Amino acid sequence: MAPYRSRRSATNRQVWNWVVTIGSVFFCLLILPVRLPGMDIVGVGPNWLLIWVVTWSVNRMPWEGAIAGIVLGLLQDGLSAPFPTHTIGLAIAGILTARLHQRRFLQEDLVSVALVVFGLAVITETTMALQLTAQYLSSEDPLYPSLGIIWQYQQRVALSSAILTSLWAPALYYPLKKWWDRYRLNE
Amino acid sequence: MFALRRWWDKNALKAGLIFLAIGTALGVQQTNGAFVNEAFQFLAHPFRGNATPENIENSYILDLQQRVVELENQNQKLRELIDYGENSELDITTPAAVIGRSPDNWWQQLTLNKGTKADVKEGDFVTGPGGLVGRITAVTPHTSRVLLLSDPSSQIGAKISRSRSTGYIRGGAGSQATMQFFEKIPDAKPGDVVVTSSFSRLFPQGVPIGRIASVDSETGPAPVATIQLSVPVSNLEWVDIHPYTPKLDVDAAPAKIVTDDNL
Repeated sequence: MAPYRSRRSATNRQVWNWVVTIGSVFFCLLILPVRLPGMDIVGVGPNWLLIWVVTWSVNRMPWEGAIAGIVLGLLQDGLSAPFPTHTIGLAIAGILTARLHQRRFLQEDLVSVALVVFGLAVITETTMALQLTAQYLSSEDPLYPSLGIIWQYQQRVALSSAILTSLWAPALYYPLKKWWDRYRLNE
Repeated sequence: MFALRRWWDKNALKAGLIFLAIGTALGVQQTNGAFVNEAFQFLAHPFRGNATPENIENSYILDLQQRVVELENQNQKLRELIDYGENSELDITTPAAVIGRSPDNWWQQLTLNKGTKADVKEGDFVTGPGGLVGRITAVTPHTSRVLLLSDPSSQIGAKISRSRSTGYIRGGAGSQATMQFFEKIPDAKPGDVVVTSSFSRLFPQGVPIGRIASVDSETGPAPVATIQLSVPVSNLEWVDIHPYTPKLDVDAAPAKIVTDDNL
């Protein structure tokens, strides 16, 4: 039977862990619309929710990464629009990160994470473009008037988003990862 | 049954937490992110210093020029028309500050710091120094979300102010938009002012949009013009919100014909 004091501080730490987890998601949502100098390439900003999903999924199972992607995708949809949805792109990002880490292709240092975030940002924007393509091919009144416009825009957005997101990834990844590692160590 | 009970004992908490997380996220998505927008406005509030908007000199003069051109042309037409509707683009609900850009890379949006508390409602249109900026698509008590003209999903009925050739404008996700004309040989030259037309259901007519940068007659069934939007969207700080109710009923019943019987 563990002594009372360490049991209480274990619950305390658990509560703090939840505060940090939910607080960091909320913080990411709040800085999404902000464009400080250095966060803006042709109007595109870094994809903070993607960085959060990658940080979360690095040490966890693929299904946990998928759930995180879906939850954060729904939150981002609330801020912008329900279609095209962000859940698919972020869920794929979560699953891929977890599997890459399981297969030892991805280390936990900053450079590898920045590279992975670069690739995943391109994949996320491509899933959005694919959703718009599917809508264009199947519906009477699509959002975009032609496939050429969708994919031209996707190129621009994917490259800018990938560069910015991978440049800003260490800023969010490092503190969050440190917290979760310390929490696991103490558990 | 026993295996289910064992699974439940082990994973109930996790399952409950996942359910809670997805439920919360769905709630945020259904309310259009109202909570997040309100929190953002609350946190951005102390960083907004002065209460008076500063107009960008050149753009304001450009706006005036375009309005004058439009007014002159309108005047000409009015002398010929018998019945003319109200032009309500000059009513202003409130000026508002831009507190955020798009939280997403595919939708061109702005977040403003005025909401239902300031009588802003969905469907109101927004102008900046230079002309039309977009329309309000979501409101919360203290914020509102603007869908910009430059968003590729915006389709606005427009006309050339000088020659009244009509067409519709599609955003190009930048400071340029493309205008597709309805006629094969429109009377349009680079430099012509483009304003909203009476065909547009979501905006009143006569609001300046931009100028023609170039006309391309080779492509497609009708010529396509590139429009330079007159509002510098990436540098926008202050906008004006105008009240407007979109005309949803385009196929309205014909006007009652007054004859000697029912006069």
